[in-house]
Amino acid sequence: MLLTRRMDFSASYRDASGATTGHNYELEVTISGRIDPETGMVVDLKELKELMEREIEARFDHRSLSEDTPYFRDRAPTPETFAELIFSLLDAALPKGSLHRIRLSPTRELTVEVTR
Amino acid sequence: MIRVIQRYDFSAAHVLARRDWDDERNRTVYGKCANPAGHGHNYCAEVTVEGELDPRSGRLLPEGRLDEIVARRVLGELDGRFLNRDVSIFETAVPTAENIARHIWDTLVGEVAPARLVGVRLIETRNNSVEYLGSEVPA
Repeated sequence: MLLTRRMDFSASYRDASGATTGHNYELEVTISGRIDPETGMVVDLKELKELMEREIEARFDHRSLSEDTPYFRDRAPTPETFAELIFSLLDAALPKGSLHRIRLSPTRELTVEVTR
Repeated sequence: MIRVIQRYDFSAAHVLARRDWDDERNRTVYGKCANPAGHGHNYCAEVTVEGELDPRSGRLLPEGRLDEIVARRVLGELDGRFLNRDVSIFETAVPTAENIARHIWDTLVGEVAPARLVGVRLIETRNNSVEYLGSEVPA
């Protein structure tokens, strides 16, 4: 069973030309797991929501990826590198192997998908 | 291989609670979804089938076949209902999105020949969805 939770957040960054710009990001996080026969749920959605708020929203929402986070000092904040970073942060915070996929959409025209 | 994905909207009420647990335990596990009076969702079920095209009709299934099956077997059972009270399987199973998706899979899996059922995705809200692929191990 796959379970997907989506969220929005907004962040800015400095692009390759040195200009500062920003996006409303849409993030879909997909967990894979068995249905717990006791609860009928794969994961507690409230816990997943809080984990996403802690790991993603608290780090990036209304922040500058370039100025306010340590992750883009030696690599460019592209949609692809940001998506890989989000995957690794969530993968480290979730039970081992349960993260199935993330989809990050910096704009409605573009989605980056990261799987294991 | 070719796949067809069809979307079906329905609305239903549910309560996330086990009858063998008291209210306090249900509130702890299911939060506000445990409200005994129930709450509702506009659900969307995405049904994916795959198979070989019929060379004469150029279709995976005869036109309208899946619509007819889903209307009769799924929407007829779930649309406009209080799932816990009106749908027999949910008198015992908690009608979580996960269990509803699996129930729709179980309902349809033997009904779509000569196509094969690939997955049932159930979108419960803008933020929450589940997808059942017929086993507990994702493809």
